[in-house]
Amino acid sequence: MCDACGCDLKPEESHDAKVIEVHQSLLAANTAMAAKNRAHIEAMGAVAINMISSPGSGKTTLLEKTIEALGDSLRIGVIEGDIETERDAERIRAKGVPVIQLTTGGACHLDAAQIHKGLHLLAREDGGDRLDILFIENVGNLVCPATFDLGEHHRMVMVSVPEGPDKPAKYPKAFHSSQLFVISKTDLLPYFDFSVDAAKAEALQLNPAIEVMDLSATSGEGFGQWLDHVRDLCSRG
Amino acid sequence: MHEMSLVQGLLVQLGELAGEHGKEKVITVTMEIGPLSGVVIDSFEFAFDALAGESVLTRDAKLIVESPPPLYRCCGCGKEIRADRRPHSCPLCKETLITTEGSDDLLLLRVEME
Ligand SMILES: Nc1nc2c(ncn2[C@@H]2O[C@H](COP(=O)(O)OP(=O)(O)OP(=O)(O)O)[C@@H](O)[C@H]2O)c(=O)[nH]1
Ligand SMILES: [Mg+2]
Ligand SMILES: [Zn+2]
Ligand SMILES: [Zn+2]
Repeated sequence: MCDACGCDLKPEESHDAKVIEVHQSLLAANTAMAAKNRAHIEAMGAVAINMISSPGSGKTTLLEKTIEALGDSLRIGVIEGDIETERDAERIRAKGVPVIQLTTGGACHLDAAQIHKGLHLLAREDGGDRLDILFIENVGNLVCPATFDLGEHHRMVMVSVPEGPDKPAKYPKAFHSSQLFVISKTDLLPYFDFSVDAAKAEALQLNPAIEVMDLSATSGEGFGQWLDHVRDLCSRG
Repeated sequence: MHEMSLVQGLLVQLGELAGEHGKEKVITVTMEIGPLSGVVIDSFEFAFDALAGESVLTRDAKLIVESPPPLYRCCGCGKEIRADRRPHSCPLCKETLITTEGSDDLLLLRVEME
């Protein structure tokens, strides 16, 4: 007889509470899908970079300038993530490379399932199934995208000079999970109280292995080292 | 706001577990949310309260969140230090470059169901 309510179930099949030990990451499904994406991207011959920053740090501008500089020597593809609009994809399409836009319909980050869909859409674009490098521009947000592996090989976090140098301390996960930290819009340094050295030091404190570079897409300062970095990733891939 | 989508995934998983074990009601859900997981515990709890009420299975479920303090590691000598805040320097070798170790877990530890 069941002690709890006196019904005639045997104890082993009782409707008593049962504790199930699970010990599984809530991100397990995403992580599994990300692994599939990584294999898919490698089969395309590409390496993928996941670009994370606040809105307006200059991700799309950096991509436009990168395509202008490297579009003839590398096969570049782009997946754009945005909450609404197709605008960023239109800017990239104007540069003549395969691109698709994922609109998250309100969600503040891309996840691996969306990228999986995106890879299939991209394959239908002219040249979208054979690439050297795939850039994924995440939704402008320094918090949520950091939690989701998309299947990228390389993650970069970008902070522009007007945002201030305290971002690493405030958004540790993005810096902790990235291999590259880009400080953008350095042409604006004369107008803002931003110490490049302080920002670098904060990022290194969180992640001693992170590579740091600063550049301006407008003046072209520091751009050479970024392009070298991109070429280097492709040759490693 | 990604806490909403994480909680949605959790509720799907709870539905599957209940099905597997032939249970009808979730009593408690215990999660470990690491301090560096990028998840805001308050937002997670808020999302859980909002979404769990939508199904009979989880309507009365209680969420328990465990959040152990982060684990730091000295880049000089490798000493591991568990503390709420980043130590200024290593107590052993005085190195000031100190990194974190893991502490970004987002785990469903256990579920109590009936
Ligand atoms: N001064 C200066 N402005 C820049 C630079 N790079 C981008 N901008 C400007 O910054 C604004 C935002 O640039 P985007 O490239 O659209 O930024 P984004 O990160 O793609 O923005 P979201 O996709 O909305 O998150 C635009 O007005 C750019 O012209 C730069 O190096 N220097
Ligand atoms: Mg953009
Ligand atoms: Zn969010
Ligand atoms: Zn030490």
